[in-house]
Amino acid sequence: MVDQTKENILQRLLSSDVKADLLVLFHKNPGLIDTMEGIARRIGRVTSAVEAEIRDLVAMGLLKVKFIGAAQVYALDKVRDKHVLDEAANHIKSIQ
Amino acid sequence: MSRLKTGITEFDEMLHGGFLEGDAVMVAGAAGSGKTTLALQYLVNGATKFGQNGIYVTFEQMPDQIYRDAESFGWDLKRLEQEGKFQLICTSPDLLVNKNGAEELLGDPIRELNPKRMVIDSVSHLQMFVPEGDVRREVYRLVMFLKTKGISSMLLWENPQMLGSSYSITDVGLSFMVDAIVALRAVEIESSMRRALGILKMRGSDHDKHLREYEITPHGIRVDQPFSQYEGLMSGSPRKVAGEKFVDMFRSVSEKKKSAVG
Repeated sequence: MVDQTKENILQRLLSSDVKADLLVLFHKNPGLIDTMEGIARRIGRVTSAVEAEIRDLVAMGLLKVKFIGAAQVYALDKVRDKHVLDEAANHIKSIQ
Repeated sequence: MSRLKTGITEFDEMLHGGFLEGDAVMVAGAAGSGKTTLALQYLVNGATKFGQNGIYVTFEQMPDQIYRDAESFGWDLKRLEQEGKFQLICTSPDLLVNKNGAEELLGDPIRELNPKRMVIDSVSHLQMFVPEGDVRREVYRLVMFLKTKGISSMLLWENPQMLGSSYSITDVGLSFMVDAIVALRAVEIESSMRRALGILKMRGSDHDKHLREYEITPHGIRVDQPFSQYEGLMSGSPRKVAGEKFVDMFRSVSEKKKSAVG
Protein backbone atom coordinates (compact mmCIF):
# COMPACT_ATOMS: atom_id res chain seq x y z
CA MET A 1 0.00 0.00 0.00
CA VAL A 2 1.33 3.42 -0.97
CA ASP A 3 2.14 5.78 1.92
CA GLN A 4 0.19 8.88 0.88
CA THR A 5 2.29 11.34 2.91
CA LYS A 6 5.54 10.11 1.40
CA GLU A 7 3.95 10.02 -2.04
CA ASN A 8 2.96 13.67 -1.60
CA ILE A 9 6.49 14.64 -0.56
CA LEU A 10 7.89 12.90 -3.61
CA GLN A 11 5.42 14.58 -5.91
CA ARG A 12 6.16 17.99 -4.42
CA LEU A 13 9.91 17.44 -4.84
CA LEU A 14 9.45 16.50 -8.48
CA SER A 15 6.76 19.03 -9.27
CA SER A 16 8.77 21.48 -11.43
CA ASP A 17 12.03 22.09 -13.23
CA VAL A 18 12.70 25.14 -11.08
CA LYS A 19 12.41 23.09 -7.90
CA ALA A 20 14.74 20.47 -9.33
CA ASP A 21 17.26 23.21 -10.19
CA LEU A 22 16.98 24.62 -6.67
CA LEU A 23 17.53 21.21 -5.08
CA VAL A 24 20.57 20.57 -7.26
CA LEU A 25 21.93 24.05 -6.42
CA PHE A 26 21.58 23.54 -2.67
CA HIS A 27 22.95 20.00 -2.74
CA LYS A 28 25.98 21.03 -4.76
CA ASN A 29 26.46 24.05 -2.50
CA PRO A 30 25.26 23.03 0.96
CA GLY A 31 26.85 26.15 2.46
CA LEU A 32 24.82 28.53 0.30
CA ILE A 33 23.14 31.38 2.16
CA ASP A 34 21.46 33.92 -0.08
CA THR A 35 18.43 36.06 -0.77
CA MET A 36 15.68 34.94 -3.11
CA GLU A 37 17.08 37.28 -5.75
CA GLY A 38 20.61 35.91 -5.29
CA ILE A 39 19.40 32.31 -5.48
CA ALA A 40 17.40 33.05 -8.63
CA ARG A 41 20.48 34.60 -10.23
CA ARG A 42 22.57 31.51 -9.43
CA ILE A 43 20.24 29.29 -11.44
CA GLY A 44 19.80 31.82 -14.23
CA ARG A 45 16.22 32.82 -13.40
CA VAL A 46 14.36 35.86 -12.15
CA THR A 47 12.99 36.18 -8.63
CA SER A 48 9.35 35.81 -9.66
CA ALA A 49 10.15 32.43 -11.24
CA VAL A 50 11.58 30.93 -8.06
CA GLU A 51 9.48 32.58 -5.34
CA ALA A 52 6.71 29.99 -5.07
CA GLU A 53 9.12 27.05 -5.28
CA ILE A 54 11.41 28.42 -2.59
CA ARG A 55 8.42 29.01 -0.31
CA ASP A 56 7.32 25.41 -0.88
CA LEU A 57 10.81 24.11 -0.02
CA VAL A 58 10.65 26.21 3.16
CA ALA A 59 7.19 24.77 3.95
CA MET A 60 8.62 21.26 3.47
CA GLY A 61 11.43 22.13 5.88
CA LEU A 62 14.21 21.62 3.36
CA LEU A 63 15.21 25.28 3.43
CA LYS A 64 15.41 27.43 6.52
CA VAL A 65 14.89 31.17 6.65
CA LYS A 66 16.76 33.79 8.61
CA PHE A 67 17.24 37.53 8.53
CA ILE A 68 20.48 39.38 7.92
CA GLY A 69 19.60 42.98 8.66
CA ALA A 70 16.46 43.56 6.67
CA ALA A 71 17.27 40.89 4.11
CA GLN A 72 15.50 37.54 4.24
CA VAL A 73 17.93 34.74 3.36
CA TYR A 74 17.60 31.02 2.73
CA ALA A 75 19.90 28.11 3.54
CA LEU A 76 19.67 24.33 3.35
CA ASP A 77 18.46 22.68 6.55
CA LYS A 78 20.95 19.82 6.36
CA VAL A 79 19.33 17.64 9.02
CA ARG A 80 15.80 17.97 7.67
CA ASP A 81 17.05 17.61 4.09
CA LYS A 82 18.73 14.30 4.86
CA HIS A 83 15.62 13.04 6.61
CA VAL A 84 13.29 13.98 3.72
CA LEU A 85 15.57 12.55 1.07
CA ASP A 86 16.02 9.31 3.03
CA GLU A 87 12.25 8.99 3.30
CA ALA A 88 11.79 9.69 -0.40
CA ALA A 89 14.47 7.10 -1.29
CA ASN A 90 12.89 4.47 0.97
CA HIS A 91 9.49 5.20 -0.50
CA ILE A 92 10.78 4.73 -4.05
CA LYS A 93 12.30 1.39 -3.03
CA SER A 94 9.03 0.27 -1.40
CA ILE A 95 6.95 0.92 -4.53
CA GLN A 96 9.42 -0.70 -6.96
CA MET B 1 54.74 35.09 19.14
CA SER B 2 52.35 32.39 18.04
CA ARG B 3 52.31 31.74 14.31
CA LEU B 4 50.01 30.00 11.88
CA LYS B 5 51.87 27.82 9.45
CA THR B 6 50.59 27.56 5.91
CA GLY B 7 52.00 24.04 5.65
CA ILE B 8 53.93 25.03 2.52
CA THR B 9 57.45 24.54 3.87
CA GLU B 10 59.33 27.08 1.76
CA PHE B 11 56.58 29.66 2.17
CA ASP B 12 56.62 29.22 5.94
CA GLU B 13 60.38 29.77 5.81
CA MET B 14 59.78 33.03 3.95
CA LEU B 15 57.31 34.01 6.69
CA HIS B 16 59.86 33.06 9.37
CA GLY B 17 57.53 30.39 10.71
CA GLY B 18 54.10 31.46 9.48
CA PHE B 19 51.65 34.34 9.69
CA LEU B 20 51.24 35.92 13.10
CA GLU B 21 48.16 34.61 14.89
CA GLY B 22 45.13 36.87 14.53
CA ASP B 23 46.59 38.82 11.64
CA ALA B 24 44.67 39.86 8.55
CA VAL B 25 46.57 38.80 5.44
CA MET B 26 45.85 39.99 1.93
CA VAL B 27 46.73 37.73 -0.99
CA ALA B 28 46.68 39.76 -4.19
CA GLY B 29 46.98 38.44 -7.70
CA ALA B 30 45.41 38.30 -11.11
CA ALA B 31 42.91 35.68 -12.22
CA GLY B 32 44.61 32.30 -12.50
CA SER B 33 47.50 33.27 -10.26
CA GLY B 34 46.61 30.62 -7.67
CA LYS B 35 44.99 32.72 -4.93
CA THR B 36 42.20 30.22 -4.35
CA THR B 37 44.63 27.29 -4.38
CA LEU B 38 46.90 28.98 -1.85
CA ALA B 39 43.93 29.86 0.37
CA LEU B 40 42.47 26.34 0.25
CA GLN B 41 45.87 24.83 0.96
CA TYR B 42 46.20 27.16 3.98
CA LEU B 43 42.82 25.98 5.32
CA VAL B 44 43.21 22.29 4.49
CA ASN B 45 46.69 22.16 6.06
CA GLY B 46 45.37 24.07 9.06
CA ALA B 47 42.59 21.53 9.57
CA THR B 48 44.57 18.37 8.81
CA LYS B 49 48.09 19.15 10.04
CA PHE B 50 47.73 21.77 12.74
CA GLY B 51 44.31 21.07 14.31
CA GLN B 52 42.98 24.50 13.34
CA ASN B 53 39.52 24.57 11.81
CA GLY B 54 38.78 26.88 8.92
CA ILE B 55 35.94 28.59 7.07
CA TYR B 56 36.04 29.56 3.40
CA VAL B 57 33.60 32.32 2.44
CA THR B 58 33.12 32.73 -1.27
CA PHE B 59 31.12 35.23 -3.30
CA GLU B 60 31.53 33.24 -6.50
CA GLN B 61 28.36 32.37 -8.40
CA MET B 62 29.23 28.67 -8.78
CA PRO B 63 31.14 27.70 -5.64
CA ASP B 64 30.63 23.95 -6.19
CA GLN B 65 33.63 24.29 -8.50
CA ILE B 66 35.70 24.89 -5.39
CA TYR B 67 34.92 21.36 -4.15
CA ARG B 68 35.85 19.97 -7.56
CA ASP B 69 39.03 22.01 -7.89
CA ALA B 70 40.10 21.08 -4.35
CA GLU B 71 39.55 17.42 -5.17
CA SER B 72 41.95 17.73 -8.09
CA PHE B 73 44.65 18.59 -5.54
CA GLY B 74 43.64 15.65 -3.35
CA TRP B 75 41.75 17.75 -0.78
CA ASP B 76 38.38 16.29 0.17
CA LEU B 77 36.52 19.34 1.47
CA LYS B 78 33.24 17.48 1.91
CA ARG B 79 34.92 14.97 4.20
CA LEU B 80 36.47 17.80 6.21
CA GLU B 81 33.00 19.36 6.47
CA GLN B 82 31.56 16.08 7.75
CA GLU B 83 34.36 15.92 10.31
CA GLY B 84 33.49 19.44 11.48
CA LYS B 85 36.91 20.83 10.57
CA PHE B 86 35.96 23.00 7.61
CA GLN B 87 33.01 24.85 6.20
CA LEU B 88 32.39 26.41 2.82
CA ILE B 89 29.93 29.29 2.90
CA CYS B 90 28.73 30.85 -0.30
CA THR B 91 26.77 34.04 -0.21
CA SER B 92 26.35 37.46 -1.76
CA PRO B 93 28.73 40.24 -0.72
CA ASP B 94 25.86 42.66 -0.12
CA LEU B 95 24.73 40.46 2.79
CA LEU B 96 28.11 40.66 4.44
CA VAL B 97 28.09 44.46 4.31
CA ASN B 98 24.54 44.62 5.66
CA LYS B 99 24.08 46.11 9.12
CA ASN B 100 25.35 43.36 11.48
CA GLY B 101 25.87 41.23 8.36
CA ALA B 102 29.13 39.66 9.51
CA GLU B 103 27.66 38.62 12.88
CA GLU B 104 24.40 37.34 11.44
CA LEU B 105 26.02 35.54 8.53
CA LEU B 106 29.11 34.14 10.21
CA GLY B 107 28.10 34.03 13.87
CA ASP B 108 26.56 30.54 13.81
CA PRO B 109 29.33 28.87 11.78
CA ILE B 110 31.93 30.46 14.05
CA ARG B 111 30.17 29.15 17.15
CA GLU B 112 29.79 25.67 15.61
CA LEU B 113 33.29 25.30 14.21
CA ASN B 114 35.45 27.49 16.47
CA PRO B 115 37.72 28.30 13.52
CA LYS B 116 41.20 29.76 13.79
CA ARG B 117 41.39 30.56 10.08
CA MET B 118 39.02 32.19 7.64
CA VAL B 119 39.33 33.02 3.95
CA ILE B 120 37.23 35.66 2.20
CA ASP B 121 37.15 35.10 -1.57
CA SER B 122 37.22 37.85 -2.53
CA VAL B 123 37.02 41.31 -1.02
CA SER B 124 37.18 42.67 -4.57
CA HIS B 125 33.53 41.62 -4.93
CA LEU B 126 32.55 44.19 -2.30
CA GLN B 127 33.28 46.89 -4.86
CA MET B 128 30.18 45.83 -6.78
CA PHE B 129 27.88 46.53 -3.85
CA VAL B 130 29.29 49.48 -1.95
CA PRO B 131 30.43 52.88 -3.18
CA GLU B 132 34.15 53.01 -3.83
CA GLY B 133 34.84 55.22 -0.83
CA ASP B 134 33.07 52.74 1.47
CA VAL B 135 35.05 49.60 0.54
CA ARG B 136 37.80 50.46 3.02
CA ARG B 137 35.31 51.00 5.82
CA GLU B 138 33.55 47.67 5.13
CA VAL B 139 36.81 45.73 4.90
CA TYR B 140 38.02 47.36 8.10
CA ARG B 141 34.78 46.36 9.85
CA LEU B 142 35.11 42.78 8.62
CA VAL B 143 38.77 42.53 9.63
CA MET B 144 38.04 43.89 13.10
CA PHE B 145 35.06 41.56 13.52
CA LEU B 146 37.27 38.54 12.80
CA LYS B 147 40.12 39.81 14.97
CA THR B 148 37.68 40.25 17.85
CA LYS B 149 36.70 36.60 17.45
CA GLY B 150 40.38 35.58 17.47
CA ILE B 151 40.30 34.45 13.85
CA SER B 152 43.19 34.93 11.44
CA SER B 153 41.81 36.08 8.13
CA MET B 154 43.09 35.72 4.61
CA LEU B 155 41.49 38.21 2.24
CA LEU B 156 41.83 37.51 -1.45
CA TRP B 157 42.11 40.47 -3.79
CA GLU B 158 41.68 40.12 -7.52
CA ASN B 159 44.25 42.29 -9.20
CA PRO B 160 43.26 43.03 -12.80
CA GLN B 161 46.87 43.38 -13.89
CA MET B 162 48.45 40.12 -14.99
CA LEU B 163 51.54 41.72 -16.45
CA GLY B 164 52.61 45.28 -16.93
CA SER B 165 54.89 48.06 -15.91
CA SER B 166 52.88 49.48 -13.01
CA TYR B 167 51.89 47.41 -10.04
CA SER B 168 49.58 48.53 -7.28
CA ILE B 169 48.03 46.06 -4.89
CA THR B 170 44.63 47.68 -4.62
CA ASP B 171 43.35 50.93 -6.00
CA VAL B 172 41.01 51.48 -3.06
CA GLY B 173 43.69 51.82 -0.40
CA LEU B 174 43.30 48.56 1.53
CA SER B 175 47.00 47.87 1.93
CA PHE B 176 47.42 49.68 5.24
CA MET B 177 44.40 47.91 6.80
CA VAL B 178 45.93 44.46 6.64
CA ASP B 179 48.90 43.15 8.61
CA ALA B 180 50.53 41.24 5.79
CA ILE B 181 50.44 41.32 2.01
CA VAL B 182 51.41 38.47 -0.28
CA ALA B 183 51.60 39.25 -3.99
CA LEU B 184 51.29 36.60 -6.68
CA ARG B 185 52.49 37.80 -10.01
CA ALA B 186 53.01 36.42 -13.50
CA VAL B 187 56.33 37.42 -15.03
CA GLU B 188 57.63 36.98 -18.54
CA ILE B 189 61.24 35.84 -18.64
CA GLU B 190 62.93 34.98 -21.89
CA SER B 191 59.58 34.51 -23.62
CA SER B 192 58.15 32.12 -21.06
CA MET B 193 55.54 32.78 -18.39
CA ARG B 194 56.66 32.16 -14.84
CA ARG B 195 55.12 32.93 -11.48
CA ALA B 196 56.60 35.05 -8.72
CA LEU B 197 55.55 35.24 -5.07
CA GLY B 198 56.63 38.02 -2.76
CA ILE B 199 55.82 39.15 0.76
CA LEU B 200 55.36 42.90 0.46
CA LYS B 201 54.52 43.58 4.08
CA MET B 202 54.43 41.72 7.38
CA ARG B 203 53.65 43.92 10.32
CA GLY B 204 55.53 43.03 13.51
CA SER B 205 57.80 40.43 11.95
CA ASP B 206 60.78 40.12 9.70
CA HIS B 207 60.32 38.08 6.55
CA ASP B 208 62.10 36.99 3.39
CA LYS B 209 62.33 39.97 1.02
CA HIS B 210 63.17 37.90 -2.05
CA LEU B 211 60.77 37.23 -4.86
CA ARG B 212 60.48 33.50 -5.24
CA GLU B 213 59.27 31.39 -8.10
CA TYR B 214 56.24 29.22 -7.37
CA GLU B 215 54.36 26.56 -9.23
CA ILE B 216 50.86 25.17 -9.05
CA THR B 217 51.49 21.43 -8.89
CA PRO B 218 48.99 18.53 -8.66
CA HIS B 219 49.49 18.74 -4.89
CA GLY B 220 49.01 22.50 -4.55
CA ILE B 221 51.35 25.46 -4.45
CA ARG B 222 55.07 24.77 -4.33
CA VAL B 223 57.46 27.63 -3.62
CA ASP B 224 60.90 27.35 -5.22
CA GLN B 225 64.11 29.35 -5.24
CA PRO B 226 64.38 33.14 -5.35
CA PHE B 227 64.71 34.81 -8.73
CA SER B 228 68.25 35.76 -7.77
CA GLN B 229 69.43 36.08 -11.38
CA TYR B 230 66.85 38.71 -12.33
CA GLU B 231 65.84 42.18 -11.32
CA GLY B 232 62.89 44.36 -12.33
CA LEU B 233 60.36 41.53 -11.98
CA MET B 234 57.74 43.62 -10.21
CA SER B 235 58.11 46.49 -12.65
CA GLY B 236 57.28 44.15 -15.51
CA SER B 237 60.69 44.50 -17.19
CA PRO B 238 62.80 41.64 -15.86
CA ARG B 239 66.46 41.68 -16.85
CA LYS B 240 69.41 39.63 -15.77
CA VAL B 241 71.54 41.19 -13.10
CA ALA B 242 74.96 42.40 -14.34
CA GLY B 243 76.91 39.46 -12.90
CA GLU B 244 74.63 36.94 -14.59
CA LYS B 245 74.90 38.81 -17.90
CA PHE B 246 78.69 38.56 -17.71
CA VAL B 247 78.54 34.82 -16.96
CA ASP B 248 76.19 34.31 -19.94
CA MET B 249 78.44 36.28 -22.26
CA PHE B 250 81.53 34.42 -21.07
CA ARG B 251 79.76 31.08 -21.51
CA SER B 252 78.59 32.03 -25.00
CA VAL B 253 82.09 33.12 -26.14
CA SER B 254 83.62 30.02 -24.59
CA GLU B 255 81.17 27.75 -26.40
CA LYS B 256 81.81 29.51 -29.72
CA LYS B 257 85.56 29.06 -29.27
CA LYS B 258 85.11 25.40 -28.41
CA SER B 259 83.00 24.79 -31.51
CA ALA B 260 85.55 26.70 -33.66
CA VAL B 261 88.37 24.50 -32.32
CA GLY B 262 86.27 21.37 -32.75
